[in-house]
Amino acid sequence: MATGLLMIAGGTAAGAFGSLLGLGGGILIVPLLTLGFGLPLREAVGVSLVSVIATSGAAAGVYLQRHVANLRLGMTLELFTALGALAGALVAFAIPDQVLAGLFAALSLYIAATMLRGRPTDAGAEVVLDDVPTGADGATTLDRMSGPGYRVRNLWPGVGGSLFAGVVSAVLGVGGGIVKVPVMNLVMGVPLRVATATSNLMIGVTASASAIIYLSRGGIDPYVAGPTVLGVFVGATIGSRTAHRVDVRALRLLFAAVLVYTAWQMLGRALG
Amino acid sequence: MARILLIGTYLSVALIGIGVLLMVATGVSPLDAAPPFDPARLASEIVAGDPEGFLWLGIIAVIATPSVRVAASLVGYLRDGERAMAFVSVGILVVIATSVVLAVGLEG
Repeated sequence: MATGLLMIAGGTAAGAFGSLLGLGGGILIVPLLTLGFGLPLREAVGVSLVSVIATSGAAAGVYLQRHVANLRLGMTLELFTALGALAGALVAFAIPDQVLAGLFAALSLYIAATMLRGRPTDAGAEVVLDDVPTGADGATTLDRMSGPGYRVRNLWPGVGGSLFAGVVSAVLGVGGGIVKVPVMNLVMGVPLRVATATSNLMIGVTASASAIIYLSRGGIDPYVAGPTVLGVFVGATIGSRTAHRVDVRALRLLFAAVLVYTAWQMLGRALG
Repeated sequence: MARILLIGTYLSVALIGIGVLLMVATGVSPLDAAPPFDPARLASEIVAGDPEGFLWLGIIAVIATPSVRVAASLVGYLRDGERAMAFVSVGILVVIATSVVLAVGLEG
């Protein structure tokens, strides 16, 4: 019972942190389960994928209701994140544990650096008109994906970024937002708030494509997934409702410190 | 679309929550060896009140909810005559279906 409660508590913290800082929580769930509870890395990734689907589902529903997420763009890109995730899941089981740990350490350090640098602004999102095939009604493909006050551009680089985000998600058990949000915001011209909401929407399909493979390969332990998913879901709900009362700058510093520590531990595993 | 995501997510988490309560009631630890996923035994596990039955059902519901959202989008796009987005929706469902087929193949 103590282990279960600790798992729920850890999941709650990961979910709250992730929600407050705009992340899915996977970057904390995987090390929590491996370093904290001794779970094999691949099983931790499988449980994390289920967790991020659950937390993103509730948030994405709210974003859609409020018309913040760009459904057309999100669905177009999630076709490719899902493809990347499927490929990533098939490859993930062939990657040695030490290499996985090294990759996770690298991702943790990258996210820590991003946190310390601060969030990208919309300054890079210029509106540029491209030549694209025109539909019968005169509206271009990108026109139909664009939203009020912004025009989507550079679709194919966005597709490439989405494929990569899917692979990262499947191999490391994260939502992939750390790749998708900058790609949409800085490369495709989507405002940050829309990019974040759209990325959140995409996590469900992305992670489910790989979670199915993990399920079949015995990579999801229901006894671990249960308390973890419950905790992460509760934490993310609390986080989203208290975000306006929290000093995010202090949280970023704390989160970055936790990630650096996690990266150090994972690097230790990678080097054996 | 939003309602599907919200209902699916809350239903999934509720099933998982029941599974966790049953874990506590039956003294199952998260670190105990869990039985592998067997669709054929799912109904009997739920009827018997086994925690893994509700946990597996909740996990499947979590994984399936985004696909249900995409299927609902497909219906909407077909109804509105948006062929391009209907194709995208079909494409996503094909990728998910491929994942299922490969998963079944890997299990067998």
